[in-house]
Amino acid sequence: MRERKDGVSFPRPDLEQVFRAAYPRVVAVAARVLGNRHEAEDIAQEVFLTFGRSAVPAGEATGWLSVAAAHTALNHLRTGRRRASREETVGAAETTAPDVAETVIARDERRRVRAALARLPRKQAVALVLRHSGLSYAEVAAALDLSPGSVGTTVRRAESALREELNRHAPSE
Amino acid sequence: MRHPSDGTLRRLVDEPAGVADTDRSHVASCPKCEAGLAAARDDAATVALHFEISDISGREVDEAWQRLLANPAATGLAASAASAASAASAGLAGAAGAGGLALPGVPGVPGVPGAGGLASPGSAGRSARWRALLRSPVIAGIAVAALLAGAGAAAAANWLPIFRAERVAPLVIVPSDLVQLPELSGYGKLEITSAPRVRQVADAAAAKEGAGLGVPQVAELPRGVTGEPSYRVGDKATATFTFSAAKAAQTAAADGRSLPPMPAGLDGSQFRLSAGPGVAATWAEARGVPALIVARAVAPAAFSGGVPFETARDYLLSLPGLPASVASQLRSFSGDGTLPLIVKAGREESFTADVGGVQGTVLATRDGAMAGVIWVDDGLVTVVGGSLSTDEVLEVARGLTWQR
Repeated sequence: MRERKDGVSFPRPDLEQVFRAAYPRVVAVAARVLGNRHEAEDIAQEVFLTFGRSAVPAGEATGWLSVAAAHTALNHLRTGRRRASREETVGAAETTAPDVAETVIARDERRRVRAALARLPRKQAVALVLRHSGLSYAEVAAALDLSPGSVGTTVRRAESALREELNRHAPSE
Repeated sequence: MRHPSDGTLRRLVDEPAGVADTDRSHVASCPKCEAGLAAARDDAATVALHFEISDISGREVDEAWQRLLANPAATGLAASAASAASAASAGLAGAAGAGGLALPGVPGVPGVPGAGGLASPGSAGRSARWRALLRSPVIAGIAVAALLAGAGAAAAANWLPIFRAERVAPLVIVPSDLVQLPELSGYGKLEITSAPRVRQVADAAAAKEGAGLGVPQVAELPRGVTGEPSYRVGDKATATFTFSAAKAAQTAAADGRSLPPMPAGLDGSQFRLSAGPGVAATWAEARGVPALIVARAVAPAAFSGGVPFETARDYLLSLPGLPASVASQLRSFSGDGTLPLIVKAGREESFTADVGGVQGTVLATRDGAMAGVIWVDDGLVTVVGGSLSTDEVLEVARGLTWQR
């Protein structure tokens, strides 16, 4: 362990403790955005690597990691579609432990959810995913610099927009 | 009384304790708000269904933790420097994947998480990983780039030199373009004719002997970096690429595209890529994360088996998979010995700085976690990098001496 000129120790000493506590939630956040556990695990690795080099206070780690996972996964969703669709073709045949979501929701529907999520305003998308990943209203507010009162409004708008998008693109219509 | 907001109704769905008693009483007695609450509940349930995921077990957390510790990106600089030392292959400028640093864009810098890297010496899996690296679109794409950046025309003779790295310059690529870079293996056969064989050696004297190059001496270590470095050396590496019209057509067809007509003589023509030997000194930290790396290698070079450089360049630049922004930057490098160094737009930044009278390219991740500087001088490419600030790497770079 050593300290850089800017006072940041690398890697940070609490990394393992934070990792073990927050990993399931970080994967869950990314998986909700991407609809794919394997890709979510990759995103989680990336997020923890960045966290390991950061000076984020341990007390803010969960919120920081969750927001970072959501943003990174959304970026991945928006910029990596071509690659993702390529890998999905290959990966589909290799999946041995299907997610619950995969067994419940048809692939086409899953794709539409992610496309709809990618079209939401970024703050709405992140708030939605964080709340559905178990962060309290107060935690979402702190993580996104919102007032606690506006979290419900933001999440509600996101859900409403997502529902509309899903209805609009539903195969029956 | 005023109706509670949609946000308040939404909170009633899953955190009712956070809603004021007066609002709760109102909703209970207001048909309009009750309907709003029901709609909020429905939408939340629909979204929740789409967001279902399976639980993550303790064992999966353990495995993920081990994966993090072993991630080449965590030791990306070690991998990079080792590769620089090995000078793995001509012009295979490094590129980083997610979280990595495109640091020493010198020969075969892995940086691509999951690609394995060449950091750990002496492993049996190295050649396989090296082949995997070459198959990666990024690395292979940069092999194309190196060919494109070649200098001078090659007439019909044996292995005419067409490229020798004389300087580096950033090649800015947005992530979406990065995945679009063509895979060299889709246009012919890439064969490693001589592997870099990166290995750890006992001390500076062994490194000097193993690489045939001077070993670096750092005038003043950055604050926090202490102790003696470990040394790695790598042999000269060579690879041969053979163009194949049939393979190129097949690749294009699989992607629903058609190739521009291949110029006469290009089918079956060969290009040889070489780099190295090299040497690296690493000051490690706990868990093997490098604090500082100084590496030097014989600069990458490319040779043509007979096809004029312009012919290969023009054809490669016309490939349908090459993003326009990348092609245009490569065209501007063409012919002056510039080694393209991949910089991922938005994640990394680069600028130039003087290093002992030579222009160096400084790269840093935007989160400030890692920085490095790379320069080419007198046929040698040198990298200084680590979990340092850009000021610190420049300070080390400017104070370097080489024990010959």
